[in-house]
Amino acid sequence: MNEQIIWIVLRRLRAPFLVLIVTFSISILGLVLIPGVDDSGNVYQMTFFDAFYFVSYMASTIGFGEAPYSFNYEQRIWVSFAIYFTVIGWFYGIGAIVSLVQDEGLRKALNRNAFMMEVKKLTTPFYIILGYNSITKSIINRINGYDYRVVVLDKSEDKIEELILENFYPNVPAFVGNATKQQMLKIAGIHHKNCKGVISLFEDDMTNSQIATICNILNKKIDIIVKASSPQQVEHFKSLNLNNVQNPFDIISKRIFYGITAPHIWLLEMWMYGHILKLKKRDLFPKGKYLIYGYGRMGYAIIKGLQKAGIEYIIKDISSKDYIEKKHSTIFGDEEDVSTLIELGVKDSVCIIAATKNDLLNLSILNKAKQLNPNIFTMARENSLDDLNMFQAAKINKIYIVEKILADATYNYIARPLADIFIQESRKKDEEWATIIVEMLNNITGMNPLYYETKIDNENAYALSLQLNKGKDITLANLRRSREDRNELLNIVYLLLKRGDEVYLMPDSNMNIKMGDELLIVSNEDNYEDFEYIVSNIYELEYVLGYRV
Amino acid sequence: MNMHKIVSGSFFILAMTVNFGFFYGDPTVLAEHSVYELFAAIVISLISTVMKLGDRTQLGAVLLATSIVADIQLIASATVWAFAEYVIKDYGVETVTVIVSLAGGALLANVISVILYIGDTLKSKR
Repeated sequence: MNEQIIWIVLRRLRAPFLVLIVTFSISILGLVLIPGVDDSGNVYQMTFFDAFYFVSYMASTIGFGEAPYSFNYEQRIWVSFAIYFTVIGWFYGIGAIVSLVQDEGLRKALNRNAFMMEVKKLTTPFYIILGYNSITKSIINRINGYDYRVVVLDKSEDKIEELILENFYPNVPAFVGNATKQQMLKIAGIHHKNCKGVISLFEDDMTNSQIATICNILNKKIDIIVKASSPQQVEHFKSLNLNNVQNPFDIISKRIFYGITAPHIWLLEMWMYGHILKLKKRDLFPKGKYLIYGYGRMGYAIIKGLQKAGIEYIIKDISSKDYIEKKHSTIFGDEEDVSTLIELGVKDSVCIIAATKNDLLNLSILNKAKQLNPNIFTMARENSLDDLNMFQAAKINKIYIVEKILADATYNYIARPLADIFIQESRKKDEEWATIIVEMLNNITGMNPLYYETKIDNENAYALSLQLNKGKDITLANLRRSREDRNELLNIVYLLLKRGDEVYLMPDSNMNIKMGDELLIVSNEDNYEDFEYIVSNIYELEYVLGYRV
Repeated sequence: MNMHKIVSGSFFILAMTVNFGFFYGDPTVLAEHSVYELFAAIVISLISTVMKLGDRTQLGAVLLATSIVADIQLIASATVWAFAEYVIKDYGVETVTVIVSLAGGALLANVISVILYIGDTLKSKR
């Protein structure tokens, strides 16, 4: 690609160079041919050197004066012609060079080159994110520089400029390009050995499927994380052998189902996404009649969850666009609306869900319902992240933000794979199991424990891998000891152990650790730091294991 | 047929022929080598170099290289001449031979360039 720039420059310089050569040579030749008179009145002819010297400073408008002797009038006539001739040529040449520097094509080629170099130089694993928006921005914020780097493609120049202004650290290489073009994906490094995957979370399912298909052909080894918002789309992606299909509506549907039937399983999942590990009363989904305002993909997902949980529901199909057109207002609650609400049975419903595409409409629906039935449980779909404060102030019980769910799910898939597995596995268990786990975690690690993922290898657990390589048997329980006093227990819980393809949920503490095991550990900052010391420091480990006093 | 091809082709060949015109003659006698011919050779050689700019093919690159060699040789020849005229103020046999043989080297580069050019023309089937 470097080559390309040189060719662009050379091709553009062809005309100015030709003009310069021709004007110079004609002027020089003229000066050589015209006889001059020297100081003592002898006729002389300028040599080529004299003429070249004179023309060089004349053309560039430096003008040292007439040399080697004062010119006679024949010479001056020629020079006055040559001045205009060469100076114009010279200015044209300079102008061409300056315009070349500002040239759009050249600038693009230079940018592209810089982008490719940046991508090429990435030494850590990276993801290619297609499309820059609030979802992908929040993903970039969380993964960039921690475990992975990020490369962004977006077809709008404004978006890329916005990204550059964000000043991400480490720098996020970004380029303007159509993500559905193979060439652009190649430039973004889809064939790079460190490329871990492609993230495509476009609103439009068609774009996503196009991208998934192209990426799948270009590089079979990478992860393709793609959004799908309909079951047909999910099926299509499954047929391409893509496992990482993110369907935000499916996630919402599952959350509603577990929220109603098994709140502790729901709690465990929400905790993985940053909720505190305690079931508050206002979090509990009530049982009874549900009233849903708004249909579409979101409504469909809610109904699916409710049906699975065996809950009675009534849907009021309301489209925000039609509503606004009809009433010229986004404030819900004129007499007609109120009477429909009452007709639908808002007074004996336990929950109302507002799932239209307009945030204000959603808020006003819930507001009205609350007026009519103060005890009703409220749930809303929030479409734009900017309105978050408004929703929080409105004291709505549950808010579903499709964008945030998508960003969280993608982040967990990339950076917290074990948490993702834990959620899947815990869904296979029952409420009773989940209640016990939550209680145990609360007892050992408190109400708001953190979770960590680690892999037993040389890098993360140097001391432990030394011991394991010697053939020592070390169990999970052996490591759960304080480094101050080995008779004391550390406040950590092993939630999940992954060995190859096998997954052990709540592994037995007498289980032997093997190299390459991946652990999901629940703890707080101090205790986890102790754990890290123990597995990586030889002396601490030997003390904890009892080899050293 | 392509106007650019005709113009550039004629300049490639002209560069060689004018170069030969300067080179032809007793290499020890400066009077047999016209300064005007050297000037023309330099100008035409420069023009043919510019004509070759921007051709992305492999052949284009080689043509450009030979042309640049010819330019360097010819300009060196002219520089030696100017140096002899103004600085040494003497034309020994050695100086004259250097001027002419430098142009001879340029001729060789031009010949190579023309051979490549003809070869490429013959190779193309249209």
